[in-house]
Amino acid sequence: MRKKERSIARLLSHAVLVVVAAVMIYPLLLVVSISFSEEAAVVKNGYRFIPEQFSLDGYAAVFKNPGILLNAYSITILVTILGTAAGLLLTAMIAYVMSRKEYRYRKATTLFVVFTMLFNGGLVPFYILIVKYLHLKDTLWVLIIPYLINPFYVMIMKGFLDRMPAEVIESAKIDGASEYRAFFTIVLPLSTPALATVGLFISFIYWNDWWLGLLFIDQDRLVPLQLLLYRTMNTIEFYAVNSQHLSGSVDVTKFPSLTTRMALAVLGAGPMLFIFPFFQRYFVKGLTVGSLKE
Amino acid sequence: MGNQKRRGMQAVLAASLGLTLVLSACSSDNKNNAEGNNKPVNSSQTAAESQSPKLEPAELTWYYPQWSTQPETKEVEEAINKITKEKINATIKLMPTDGGSYEQKLNTMVAANEEFDIAWTSFWMFNYAQNARRGAFVELGPLLEKNAPELQKLLPDLVWEALKVDGKIYSILNYQTITNKEGFLIQKRFADKYGLDPSAIKSIKDIEPFLEKIKENEPDIIPFGMTRGGNFENMKTTYNNIEYISNEAIVGIYRDDAGAKVMDVIQSPEYKEYLNLMHEWYAKGLINKDAPTVKALDDRKKAGQIAVSFHNVLKPGREVEEKNASGGQDIVLVPTSEPFVGTNTIIQSMQAISQTSKNPERALMFLNLLNTDKELLNLVSYGIEGKHYTRISDDTIKMNENSGYNPNITWVFGNTFLADMQEGQDATVRELTLKENEEAKSSPILGFTFDPEPVQTEIANIQAVNDEYGPPLNTGAADVEQKLAEYIEKRKKAGIEKVVAEVQKQLDAWKQKTGK
Repeated sequence: MRKKERSIARLLSHAVLVVVAAVMIYPLLLVVSISFSEEAAVVKNGYRFIPEQFSLDGYAAVFKNPGILLNAYSITILVTILGTAAGLLLTAMIAYVMSRKEYRYRKATTLFVVFTMLFNGGLVPFYILIVKYLHLKDTLWVLIIPYLINPFYVMIMKGFLDRMPAEVIESAKIDGASEYRAFFTIVLPLSTPALATVGLFISFIYWNDWWLGLLFIDQDRLVPLQLLLYRTMNTIEFYAVNSQHLSGSVDVTKFPSLTTRMALAVLGAGPMLFIFPFFQRYFVKGLTVGSLKE
Repeated sequence: MGNQKRRGMQAVLAASLGLTLVLSACSSDNKNNAEGNNKPVNSSQTAAESQSPKLEPAELTWYYPQWSTQPETKEVEEAINKITKEKINATIKLMPTDGGSYEQKLNTMVAANEEFDIAWTSFWMFNYAQNARRGAFVELGPLLEKNAPELQKLLPDLVWEALKVDGKIYSILNYQTITNKEGFLIQKRFADKYGLDPSAIKSIKDIEPFLEKIKENEPDIIPFGMTRGGNFENMKTTYNNIEYISNEAIVGIYRDDAGAKVMDVIQSPEYKEYLNLMHEWYAKGLINKDAPTVKALDDRKKAGQIAVSFHNVLKPGREVEEKNASGGQDIVLVPTSEPFVGTNTIIQSMQAISQTSKNPERALMFLNLLNTDKELLNLVSYGIEGKHYTRISDDTIKMNENSGYNPNITWVFGNTFLADMQEGQDATVRELTLKENEEAKSSPILGFTFDPEPVQTEIANIQAVNDEYGPPLNTGAADVEQKLAEYIEKRKKAGIEKVVAEVQKQLDAWKQKTGK
């Protein structure tokens, strides 16, 4: 009797999960399939799961002018690597300090960090700060600095580091290690699951970001990948919606076709799709990080 | 011992972190220093030879939208600066901004009071009247006489009237076609095949037999292509000369109405007539089935799948543009209205000078130069002669293949009648356009721009209702009787009566002030 109940429950939960997974995979498959289809067939007959006419035209159009795409890729990769490394280090350092019971200003710092999670100044003050006071407009740094420290991830790391036995650190200090030595040689290696999780999250933010580029980047050399995608899609949609107001003409034939846009989307999202499975083993461990207090 | 070492390390780390921040700020500071600052450039020697030696050197930044990236913009900028340095001792920094994000970016810049000199504006992107009322632009009226006398004479009075916001001029127009003319765009091959007589088409309904023939005989072709926006906005003049005052609230007047009484367009008999016709066409399959959801038909147009569509800017020379957009198929224009002019048909593309500019007079001088100096305008629009384009005749040029500078947006830069023509355009088109500009029927409310500030909430609510009922009704997919009644009801609830009253109030006040 019990066996039957369990298997029905399992069947049900499996069914629900399968449906949810299908709903999520379906559009992705379509995008990939369209990117490999021939333009005319798609325009005529609509989207199909398996391309009616297999063609690499979409990708060919993208790679005809590879310069822009390669530049965008290099910017995004550079920003992601630099940003993740620096961001991870800074986040870990703040979280470590906040987790130490001997730290005198522990409460104040926690309040400070949590406050910024709940409130912020808004778009215009942020813009004024970056452009007028920090003079970061149109530089590579403006793509990196704003996302370096995310209070939410600081709290996650802090949660994990809270569980670090204070004895380990104390014994290191007794052996004559400085604070920095203890941090870099003892604490960090012990926190690899948390570091991997937070690092992955931070790298997602950097990889997928187009907002900072939209606001602050003017020169074409510094356009990151997602901004390029966003611009392409936005320009096409904008023109389509507003064409009745335009007495002037914008050359529509130069806009990428449907298949080219899909190819761009695949190239934009692709790399992350591949990297993710590698981090999966850390991910499971990291998900429960900071949840249970020992 | 350990303590000292620790302190030292701390200090070094802190200092190095701080230094990186400062360094990054410094390195970009130099770049940004030039923005709008009155720093003397290396032109002190040329200042002596320049024709106006009393002018201090100035650098102007110019923001405008561009829908494609042009790798050789820098070189063109240098060539431009040679001319401007000599004539008005100013250097220009071109800031082409991605068209899709232009509005957002410029709005943020204005809100943050960022320094810049010239920005492109219009009524449909980076709204002219709204920003002028916000105080983003410098009033140009009093500066025109001294700094842009040629420009003042160049644009007809009609244009200066239309550029006024609450009585003051805040921008200069990139002179181009200022008229709208409504009509059908028909693929020539079908028009010929089925013997379409353009002169027989006087109203919207007249094209129905042609559409039916297409439906019968051409299964792969869409007889009448429509997007979810529907076509009433484009057809309003054909339907009894309606003019919109607020596109968002869909409120307007009958142009022939001397009393200029404001009315809710959705409640007008013309709108109902249009809806009934579209519903019939949709039921007969003459309109693409996905019209209520589709935003753009560009792809199908490029594949030549659309037989007939409707547009409200049938300017001379449009056939060539449409041919390119339709994958090379010839297009015939069949106008259904006379050319007409209204405030919004004129203020399509202007340059305004920012309040934060350090050199507003110099900026205006540059705009004057841009719109009168053929060489300069050609440079900005087409690039460097020989390198980016080849000259075919005195006033015609041809763009080079794979040129590094081919923005193809002359209407964004300046006087399109001054720049050289591209191959394929001809002088008759230009003359026709100028003629239409001068002869077009003017609107009785030219120069009036509605200020939506007092009824912002109502307009936002109305827009939500429009978005819900608009697409199914305007594309003919929904049943007219019931849905239209619902639509009108909901608009009343959202506050349309209040908006109409407000528009009437502002219109009457404007009429009194200007004595029209």
